[in-house]
Amino acid sequence: MPSFIREVENLPYVYCSPDLCTGCRACELVCSAVHEKVFNPRRSRIRVVREEPAIDVAFTCHQCTNAPCITACPTGAIIELPSGLVSVDESRCIGCSLCVEACPFGAIYLIDGVAKKCDLCAGDPACVKRCPTNALRIVYPEQISAEKRRDRATAIARSKMEKSGVTE
Amino acid sequence: MTFDYKGYTGRYLRVDLSRGKAVELKMEKWWARYYIGGSGIAARILFDEVPPTIEPLSPENRLIFATGPITGTVYPPSGRWTAVTKSPLTGIWGEANSGGYFGPELKFSGFDLIVVQGRAPKPTYLTIDDGEVELRSAEHLWGKNTNETTTIIEEEFGEPKMRVACIGQAGENLVRFACIMNDRDRAAGRTGVGAVMGSKNLKAIAVRGDLNIEVADFDKFFELAEDAYRRYTTGEWGKACRESLGTYGTTGLVDWENEIGRLPTKGHSTGVFERAGEVGPKRIRDEFRIHRRSCMNCAIQCKYVSFVRGGKYANTICSGPEYETIVSLGTNCLNADLPSILHANMLCNLYGLDTISCGGAISFAMECFERGALSEEEVGMPLRWGDGDTVVKLTHMIAKREGIGAILAEGVRRASQIIGRGSEKWAIHVKGLEVSGQDGRSHQSVGLTHAISVIGGAHLRALSSIDELGYMDIAAQRFGEDKAKAICDRLSTEMKGVLVKDVEDLYAIVDSLLTCKYGTMWPPMFYFDDYAKVLHAATGIEDFSKPGEVRLAAERIVNVKRAFNSRLGLSRKDDTLPERFLKEPMPAGPGKGKVVELEPMLNDYYAARNWDFATGLQKRSELTRLGLEDIAEVLEKNNALILD
Repeated sequence: MPSFIREVENLPYVYCSPDLCTGCRACELVCSAVHEKVFNPRRSRIRVVREEPAIDVAFTCHQCTNAPCITACPTGAIIELPSGLVSVDESRCIGCSLCVEACPFGAIYLIDGVAKKCDLCAGDPACVKRCPTNALRIVYPEQISAEKRRDRATAIARSKMEKSGVTE
Repeated sequence: MTFDYKGYTGRYLRVDLSRGKAVELKMEKWWARYYIGGSGIAARILFDEVPPTIEPLSPENRLIFATGPITGTVYPPSGRWTAVTKSPLTGIWGEANSGGYFGPELKFSGFDLIVVQGRAPKPTYLTIDDGEVELRSAEHLWGKNTNETTTIIEEEFGEPKMRVACIGQAGENLVRFACIMNDRDRAAGRTGVGAVMGSKNLKAIAVRGDLNIEVADFDKFFELAEDAYRRYTTGEWGKACRESLGTYGTTGLVDWENEIGRLPTKGHSTGVFERAGEVGPKRIRDEFRIHRRSCMNCAIQCKYVSFVRGGKYANTICSGPEYETIVSLGTNCLNADLPSILHANMLCNLYGLDTISCGGAISFAMECFERGALSEEEVGMPLRWGDGDTVVKLTHMIAKREGIGAILAEGVRRASQIIGRGSEKWAIHVKGLEVSGQDGRSHQSVGLTHAISVIGGAHLRALSSIDELGYMDIAAQRFGEDKAKAICDRLSTEMKGVLVKDVEDLYAIVDSLLTCKYGTMWPPMFYFDDYAKVLHAATGIEDFSKPGEVRLAAERIVNVKRAFNSRLGLSRKDDTLPERFLKEPMPAGPGKGKVVELEPMLNDYYAARNWDFATGLQKRSELTRLGLEDIAEVLEKNNALILD
């Protein structure tokens, strides 16, 4: 497979819409439950950030094509699987935190001294299923860009209509 | 420290502020078996440690912060916690419940409960950082509002965020209905728990931690949690949740309660407000809402952030408003000026005031003014019904105890005793607690709910939606086909004693688990059998596999709280309502011409509880059946027990 095709066929990732997220952290609890069989947000691979007065948004691994955590790892413990999933080989992880420093999203974690990250729950993420506002979705980058284009076009259309005095 | 039962951390913290000491203690196994957790276990501790001689604002009073076995788990909703104390507002059993993130984080920090006693010589705050407990000086926090206090503590500790429960200036000033605010905008509102915190010189409790919450049967528990989530979000109930609470939060109630004539208006003088649309759900959503929020792990998501864009109260930003606040600071003051309601709501959150009691005090003052018991010369300003600016001004004055605010800060019962001039009649309270946003005249069972409530005039002890909204099928399932029609008649007193007893028991479980009343109160989905399954899977306590045992625990909890009050001398005479509900007929709406016919409902309720008709006191036989022989003994010594 030529390399440029691989670049187009990105893996999907768990996307959080800040417009819909309410900061309930159900995703954190369900993540720690399915991965560790305990309830503890600090064992979750997805984390919610709340900023006052009115921002809530969850962050998890974007399954980067050119993942900084892979580049940063000194022992080669972080690898890209044939599916494109960025994964940690725990036997080689030395718990140095370089991947944590490298991730632009704060979406890789050191838990019990070992790097842990979103594994997409084998394609059916528990957090997405459990998100009560559908803020979390599993998306391909192409979906997000299409939605952005649509939102932008709608905004332009609305302003044009307002200018010409057309009401809905 | 290991504990035999799962779901719990197995530890609790006892903090003696007088001695500046905090001790980590092991949870008692029988507490869990007998009282489940949350307000159940706290009830037992308070009963044992706070005899009648202890004054609410004295160092000897206890203030308990409690979580339950499902707090912090994936079973939705699991973000609630409860504060329990002897109330400085009512002098009896005090309890306030809150959501947010503080409760779960308290468990992650290592403890199921915190029992606070004593009085710190100087302003102090308590931190638990992953099991490490410290009492720190709060001199720099004293005088700060709840938002500032939270920000300062968060910045001191950095990430991961501390979860903060604190008091504002109202708690410091011992306003008798001061609340405890946690996570900035969630309130443990009622019965003046914030004043108790202030009396102890305890400004805040901040917690964070990394403890795993484990359950006894993970697979079963997880399956039950998934099922609960499905019930909250799909099917008929799920759709109803989404369309009401999920869309409008509790504000949707404004329209409905007005329709059934139960929207408290002008000091509870009527249940119909012609300007209700101006403070209704659609206007709040369209003009003021900027963001939707939630408590921890909630499947309903009824919280919002509102923002006032222009006008006199421009840039007001606050969580809510909730239905109860719209009533207390709005309709019940005849105030339809929504920005002023939002602003007063924000002030209550920042100062740390219970919006229900604060609004109750303001509407009381307005009625005193109208009827000449307070004059403009005395107060320094007119207190006219419907004036939103007055509501805002009085909120400031109450929190700071300035002018008339110093009197109103005592709550309406004491305020009416100070003012005199016949004002006692307009003090709308039960057992000293300002009455919440319902009216028993057009919904008889809620009259009983208010009258028998162990904390006084509150709805969350035993409010039933089965008759409020007429759920015939649920009524038939729980009470029998032949009873359903009577139960669902809002204006009839028939079967209401049995209904309220049942709901009160159910809420005792909800407040001990601890979960949210949405799911039981409305929609009425979850019942004893559901919670028996959850409790069994979470804790591994065999007894809880039987719904009957869970119901027994509920009755036990209700009886311990009742015993706390009987020991203080309360009896049937206190299970009553203000004259307004008993003697003044409802002037408008579907309940027009009705008063609350309390006596027959009260008799039925006592019968359902197996309490003495004449006195409302508990019987030895009933307490023995519940395994509360030791409580019976204490009551006997206090002449508060029927020896049968």
